[in-house]
Amino acid sequence: MTKVNPQFAKKMSQVESALDVRYCFGCSACVAECPAALRFKEFNPREIVISTLLGVAENLIEADSVIWQCATCYKCYERCPQNVHPVDVITALKNISFAAGNAPEGVSSLHKAVLENGSIIAPSEAIQKRRAKLGLPAFSHATLHVPEASGKGGE
Amino acid sequence: MAEDAYLLFLGCMIPLRHPQIELAARKSMENLGVSLRESSEFTCCPEPWNMKASSLEKWLLIAARNLAVAEKEGSQLLTLCNGCFSTLTEASHLLAQNKGGIKEKVVKDLSSMGFSYSGKTSVHHVAQVLCGMEEKRVLASAKKELGGLKVALHHGCHLLRPSEILGFDDPFEPRLLEEFVRRLGAEPVAYRGYTDCCGRATLNRDASLEMAEQKLSAMEKEDADCVVVACPACFEQFDLGQVEISRRLGKNHQLPVIHICQLLALAQGEPPESLGLERHKIAIKPLLAKIGE
Repeated sequence: MTKVNPQFAKKMSQVESALDVRYCFGCSACVAECPAALRFKEFNPREIVISTLLGVAENLIEADSVIWQCATCYKCYERCPQNVHPVDVITALKNISFAAGNAPEGVSSLHKAVLENGSIIAPSEAIQKRRAKLGLPAFSHATLHVPEASGKGGE
Repeated sequence: MAEDAYLLFLGCMIPLRHPQIELAARKSMENLGVSLRESSEFTCCPEPWNMKASSLEKWLLIAARNLAVAEKEGSQLLTLCNGCFSTLTEASHLLAQNKGGIKEKVVKDLSSMGFSYSGKTSVHHVAQVLCGMEEKRVLASAKKELGGLKVALHHGCHLLRPSEILGFDDPFEPRLLEEFVRRLGAEPVAYRGYTDCCGRATLNRDASLEMAEQKLSAMEKEDADCVVVACPACFEQFDLGQVEISRRLGKNHQLPVIHICQLLALAQGEPPESLGLERHKIAIKPLLAKIGE
């Protein structure tokens, strides 16, 4: 049986003030042009928003959740007549999923790369050579020192 | 003129994977008399799909740090990438909005990192700068007519949406870049799914490539000579993507892909062989032949 968690919607506000989620009246404007909904029958932004609101969204934050198929095209953001911003709800769910250790490997490794190297791409010798050949200066990012305590709200 | 000076925010993908786009941007901006400065203090913007998906707080803090670097330099930012543009613009917006006192929290964290933030930095995508420029100035720099080159514009989602925050153009019926390429003597073609996503951020690679393939087919149906993008992620999705589409989906396309700054550099008469275009996976030659190179 599906477990209902009445507190689930509150989890959302920890990562984002996603209170607007309550204004969803289920019209499906977000679904019509959603490229992920078109390709994955289990991906439906309207259902994701309503499940979140009703507190039956635990499956959405588990490993291999369908939320990771969102293309972040923001069409639902533009089309929603109620300013629910389904894409922001999905991003908030992704944050919760990541904090629970359920995000796809690629997301975790990118997160780590940004914090450790300040970059999503390591500057290789080959690329510096290519830059030099094009007459471009050598390139590197600054080192990041993100305070340990930061980001606690969402984790 | 002060408004023609920018601090160049390169991000990750352009300088470290597609430096030919950076080269074209530097040359074309110089030709227009726009001056660019650099900073070695920037990091990844950070990336607005997976970094934002993993931690909105860290994403915002790192973006704010980059904005603080620009503030210290006293300069407005210029980005060549939709990802950098949307991250930095949206972060400024969230900080200005200051819901739930988020700004104070970020300012405090930044100060422990040695930065101060007041919110003075403005963020500009190169497409905005180009579209906002006087026509005669653009024409004065463009030595070469593009001879009706049929251009399939792909703006990329994060240049257009969310429009209330990014404020570039209409999110579904954009007009500005169209006008800009017309000024250069190219012809923008309308095609099915015009403002659809390239599919880059979708996790399932087959679905992601299908999204790009659908757009490429629609562009070819309208006899486009090339795809013109404003973002290195869209660039990779369409350029390298065509190789993957052929391999994984068995559909063959050979549509050259270039960044808007590369189109501009060509229109300004920069010799194609000096622009590093041979690194593109889909050969640029047919496009060059169309413009008499």
